[in-house]
Amino acid sequence: MNYRSYFKSEWLSLLRRKQDTLNALLFFVMVITLFPLGVDPSSEFLSPAAGGIIWCATALAILMAVEGMYKEDYNDGSLEQWLASGLSISILVFLKVFAQWVMVVVPLLLVLPLLAQMLFLPASALGVVMWSILLGTPALFFIGSIGAALTVSLRRGAVLMLLLILPLYIPVIVFATGAVRAAQMEMAYSGQLAILGAISLVALALSPIMAAVSIRASVN
Amino acid sequence: MNWTWFHKLGSPKWFYQWASNWGGRCVYVGLALLLVGVVWGLGFAPQDYQQGNSFRIIYIHVPVAVLAQSCYLAMGIAGFVSLVWQMKLAPVFIKSVAPVGAIMALIALVSGAIWGKPTWGTWWVWDARLTSVLVLFLLYMGVMAIQNALDDQVFADKAVAVVSLVGVINLPIIKYSVEWWNTLHQPATFKLTEKPSMPMEMWLPLLFSAIGLYLFAAGVSMWRMQTEVLMRERKANWVKKEVLEHGI
Repeated sequence: MNYRSYFKSEWLSLLRRKQDTLNALLFFVMVITLFPLGVDPSSEFLSPAAGGIIWCATALAILMAVEGMYKEDYNDGSLEQWLASGLSISILVFLKVFAQWVMVVVPLLLVLPLLAQMLFLPASALGVVMWSILLGTPALFFIGSIGAALTVSLRRGAVLMLLLILPLYIPVIVFATGAVRAAQMEMAYSGQLAILGAISLVALALSPIMAAVSIRASVN
Repeated sequence: MNWTWFHKLGSPKWFYQWASNWGGRCVYVGLALLLVGVVWGLGFAPQDYQQGNSFRIIYIHVPVAVLAQSCYLAMGIAGFVSLVWQMKLAPVFIKSVAPVGAIMALIALVSGAIWGKPTWGTWWVWDARLTSVLVLFLLYMGVMAIQNALDDQVFADKAVAVVSLVGVINLPIIKYSVEWWNTLHQPATFKLTEKPSMPMEMWLPLLFSAIGLYLFAAGVSMWRMQTEVLMRERKANWVKKEVLEHGI
């Protein structure tokens, strides 16, 4: 096994398990549907709240997608192969997270214009929402991968993982919705987007190391 | 530089004996200072010209809130030590301090709510500091939850170290993000680098109760660590001797 072959096989197996991607997407749509039903369907409420609603749904959908990302590898012994392969676990984690990110975020960006319309998001703000998702979600995936690696050996790890990871998502959500709000008020929003990108870069640099430590401890 | 103290800290036996000398002292001196600070603050310090008597809760609220943050910082450092140097006592420290810090965060939230009612008119506002203490409390809960969920000791220690280290890296980001998001709370009371903005007779009791609370928490943590060390080293000879000599 080398990095290239690993990435290829990971990519192919993700492509062939389309249901997982679809599930994350459906979950995203479902959470968004709850807001008009549960709070208020009028455009006076939805239009200013749309950015926040989209981001809450995104964070939850990504947590759901990330939660199980090592489960199968743990059960079928692939993680032990990682340890035996002599390759850097951090880089393998990076490749896996990257593949996952592409598989979840690209479809999400594709349905986003439709959902934005349903939430009465002004067309001028749509671009900012998409940029914020593009720049902010890598952080969510990388931070989430630590939690997934820690709880992979537990049978009921999902709730624990949510409890561990969700507080760490707060800065991303704050800055992303801040950017959208600034755009809706026709103010400058590049600062918030830059911070989002910075958080993602820090997460990209540090999380694979922590996830590798967690995987080693989990497999043992 | 002399590093013996650092290496000694790696030995549970040495720590146990050191803590049996210092744990009790810390707790009692801390309690005494806390009592002095609180009585002085609640009974004798002058009233605030704006908030009247209601400001007096500061003598509980501020030390508790500061301690809640310090405990998490200490846990993060211990997590780093545990992962890098694999020191035996670091995970014991994290496990023992987490509940102390969680309780401090909870008291800070409750006393803050009680203070908020007369000054802001509501029990809770979605203000930066309140929210970040709430998040801090949730982080503590996460550390304790994963501690309880994992049965394997070695794995649990690693996991807890990772979680506290990641939490500590995130804590300032969370703090600044919510601060940027919304601020109503008055600025920090304690600043090491600046002269205190309140008069001496209001500030001194606060210092007393803060130092007292720190000592108290340190002593209680030592006690908790001692218990944990006895648990973990129960097969070692020195523990058997210790128990036979002094009982439990």
